[in-house]
Amino acid sequence: MPNPWTLGVVAAAGWALAGLWLLRDRTRAYGERALHAPPAGEAGAGVRYAFTQAMRPGAKESVREHLPSYAAGLAYHGGIFTGLGLLISSLLGLELPRPLLGLIQALLGLGILGGASLLLKRLLQPELRGLSHPDDYLSNLLPTAFLVLALTGPVWAWRLSTILLLIYVPLGKIRHCLFFFVARRHLGAFFGRRGVFPQGELRVP
Amino acid sequence: MSHDLEQKLDALTEADYARGLEVFQGHLKEAEVSFLNACVRCGLCADSCHYHRAEADLENVPARKLDHITAVFKAHFTTMGRLAPGLVGARRMDRDMLRAWVDAVFGRCTLCGRCSLNCTIGIPMPSLFRAARRALGAMGLVPEDLQATVDNSLRHGNNMAIEREEWVETVEWIEEELQAETGDPQARIPLDKQGARCLFTVNPREAKFFPLSLQASAKVFWAAGEDWTMASDGGWDLTNYALFTCEDDQAAAIVKNLADAMTRLGCQVLVIGECGHGYQSARWMGPEWLKQSFPFPVLSILELMDGYLEAGRIQVDPSKNAQPVTLHDPCNLVRHGGISEPQRRVLRRTVTQLVEMAPHGAENFCCGGGGGQLAMGQYRNRRLGAGRMKADQIKASGARVVAAPCHNCIDQLSELNKEYQLKVQIKTVAELVAAALVPPASAEVQP
Repeated sequence: MPNPWTLGVVAAAGWALAGLWLLRDRTRAYGERALHAPPAGEAGAGVRYAFTQAMRPGAKESVREHLPSYAAGLAYHGGIFTGLGLLISSLLGLELPRPLLGLIQALLGLGILGGASLLLKRLLQPELRGLSHPDDYLSNLLPTAFLVLALTGPVWAWRLSTILLLIYVPLGKIRHCLFFFVARRHLGAFFGRRGVFPQGELRVP
Repeated sequence: MSHDLEQKLDALTEADYARGLEVFQGHLKEAEVSFLNACVRCGLCADSCHYHRAEADLENVPARKLDHITAVFKAHFTTMGRLAPGLVGARRMDRDMLRAWVDAVFGRCTLCGRCSLNCTIGIPMPSLFRAARRALGAMGLVPEDLQATVDNSLRHGNNMAIEREEWVETVEWIEEELQAETGDPQARIPLDKQGARCLFTVNPREAKFFPLSLQASAKVFWAAGEDWTMASDGGWDLTNYALFTCEDDQAAAIVKNLADAMTRLGCQVLVIGECGHGYQSARWMGPEWLKQSFPFPVLSILELMDGYLEAGRIQVDPSKNAQPVTLHDPCNLVRHGGISEPQRRVLRRTVTQLVEMAPHGAENFCCGGGGGQLAMGQYRNRRLGAGRMKADQIKASGARVVAAPCHNCIDQLSELNKEYQLKVQIKTVAELVAAALVPPASAEVQP
């Protein structure tokens, strides 16, 4: 008989995936814009650039000028993916080697620091606070709690936090785990087609 | 907010609200809906906006402007927005929200797209601001002076309501000046020449206020021995302010003037004069508005001049432009148009010293005059304030001449020149090329 917490996590994961699928389906129902102007560049090259070089700190002024936030974001997201990996290995009953566990703990710790610092920033900066909705705080608290409990246990509490997190994924802004990729693909295709991406390359008409 | 807007808001009926929402949703495609689902409100876009750089106000943060639009989308078109509006920040379209929309997308945005490149996620925000502008248009809430510019184009075939006789007389006068300048009685500005290779189009401001700009372009064509013409009636004005009101049917009607002139005159290449939004309208948006590909290429005159220099069709002496020159990158031409290098290659050959602004190219700052701002008098002070970034860039470059391949930008830069005491000359690229031209022997230039 599987552990009820495990069943709960699997069911919540199913909910999250189904919710994201539904959101994607609804989005697709709006249809694609027909394009008639001849391209000046390659949409594909733009997409590749958007997912690679355009994401380097040096490529974006908003990152260059906010490196601590960028680092916190990287640590936070790195921690979340690490936590999800740990969750899967835990559900499968895999025993991880000790050095790897140490690395995982370090990444989880950095993730907690990243998440907490971004939450503090949102709470303390008036402009960012003015920009925020309850969703923004919840979307930070749930993954951060997931990381804290992944690191400190107990297991049932970690599983519970996982279930809550997964249930919330399609409901709030954590849905950007899907739409980040969709939006960035569109951005790359748009600027690639117009010959703006990749930047820094000479284009002769 | 203006009394006019309040009166218009007072007059709105439930049917108007429904119409606005219908038009808003109708403008959205998969890409835009994905963008509306993607913003994480990290706020890192704030300083990418020249409005926010000039005034660090929450309402100037691009994500905030976007949030006004997202809030309405969530409230009317998503399940979570209906079930838990307070949680996800959904708000139904109402009088306050419409006021916020007008202020955000007309009053605090030039549709320059700089935030798109700096967005953590990669959301091209102007595409969503366009949807909002279009919905506001359907509710009669486009600022009247901006709409009047579009109406002029629809009624008169050009945005300044210049009548045909006046246009033809102006061209003939500029032609005489060109002949006097070149000393060549055969130097022409041909009107309605059937079968000419290039149909050249200009901003009506050139006819009204900047004849030297048109004369400079004509001089370059003369020197290159180009086979070109201009339309005497519909089809000479490259502007399309419906790009800014975002009323696509009106935009289509305006750009059709150019396509029809190409067909009527049997020309092969549509050449867009130095104008950012005109280039984006004709090159990129025109085929989308008309829902068909053009059977001819659309080129910027910058590309043409680049080609002339590369092919040796014109010769230039850069010592004629001895002062340091910096180049302004119009957003619609560079960031949204993909034309970044031709003007640089032209200027490197044409001036003694080209000094780049920092940043430049696709990362340029908007001058503040884009998005129809120059046609919206009520936001003048905000526009001049938001131009401070560009003014600072120009000052820092140390240049004495600003090359600006866009007449809207030239208007804004001219105002910034006075407002911020820049003490620079502002010229089109063609004016700099024309000044540096080594006159060809007349026998060589006749086609």
